[in-house]
Amino acid sequence: MDPLVASLKVAASGIEAQSTRIRIVSENLANARSTGDTPGADPFRRKTVTFSAELDRATNASLVQVSRLGFDEGDFSSEYDPGNPAADEKGFVKMPNVNVLVEMADMREANRSYEANLQSIKQSRDLISATIDLLRASQ
Amino acid sequence: MQPIQLFELASKQAEWLAVRQSVVAGNIANSNTPGFKAKDVTPFQSVLETTGIRMAATQPGHFTETEMASRVIETRPTEEIGVQESGNTVGLAEELMKEGQVKREFELNAGLVKAFHRMMLMTVRR
Repeated sequence: MDPLVASLKVAASGIEAQSTRIRIVSENLANARSTGDTPGADPFRRKTVTFSAELDRATNASLVQVSRLGFDEGDFSSEYDPGNPAADEKGFVKMPNVNVLVEMADMREANRSYEANLQSIKQSRDLISATIDLLRASQ
Repeated sequence: MQPIQLFELASKQAEWLAVRQSVVAGNIANSNTPGFKAKDVTPFQSVLETTGIRMAATQPGHFTETEMASRVIETRPTEEIGVQESGNTVGLAEELMKEGQVKREFELNAGLVKAFHRMMLMTVRR
């Protein structure tokens, strides 16, 4: 396969991986205050995403793929809120182990990588059209 | 009359640039992959000086890698970026800079081929 077409494929795999990451971040953010619904029940557990490089045998290029969607095993925080249906006998509610600031930083990073991948798609496209322009009549 | 070698040289450089572009795209795509080492292609000068041996394709189904594809090497992490906590050595800014370089050189290459082609046509016409 032509290396330029291969680089389009690689960048597309990067875009897909980063969109999965943004999806996970928004799931975490949306559920940052999701508690359980019975007394003492576990709240939402933060999700994590891991990438790995995969060698594409036909083109010798390194694609990226989502290797694992996991859960953050960190401790839940607890908050005093006796009116909550998930409150235990002392009035404490377990809150999700989602740190909004960490999620925001993660989102920014995913955004930046996504833009870099878009840039390399644009660039490969420009290079391909520069080659095609050679065939165009010059007058 | 001496044979005209510009077209061969230009297509070799275009191939090298295309391989470099795909390597850079791979680095950018893997900029968040734990343990990924940034890669690059050996300079065009050294590609010109050495001749590579490639596998022969005797049937349509055979994969042969291009001569350039065997020249992909791991780069050393730069002082500025270094190795990240996850073992990744890709610096996004540096890769984007390389992309710009590839684009400039590729356009120069295409422009030269076009100009040379026009000159050849000029001698042939009428």
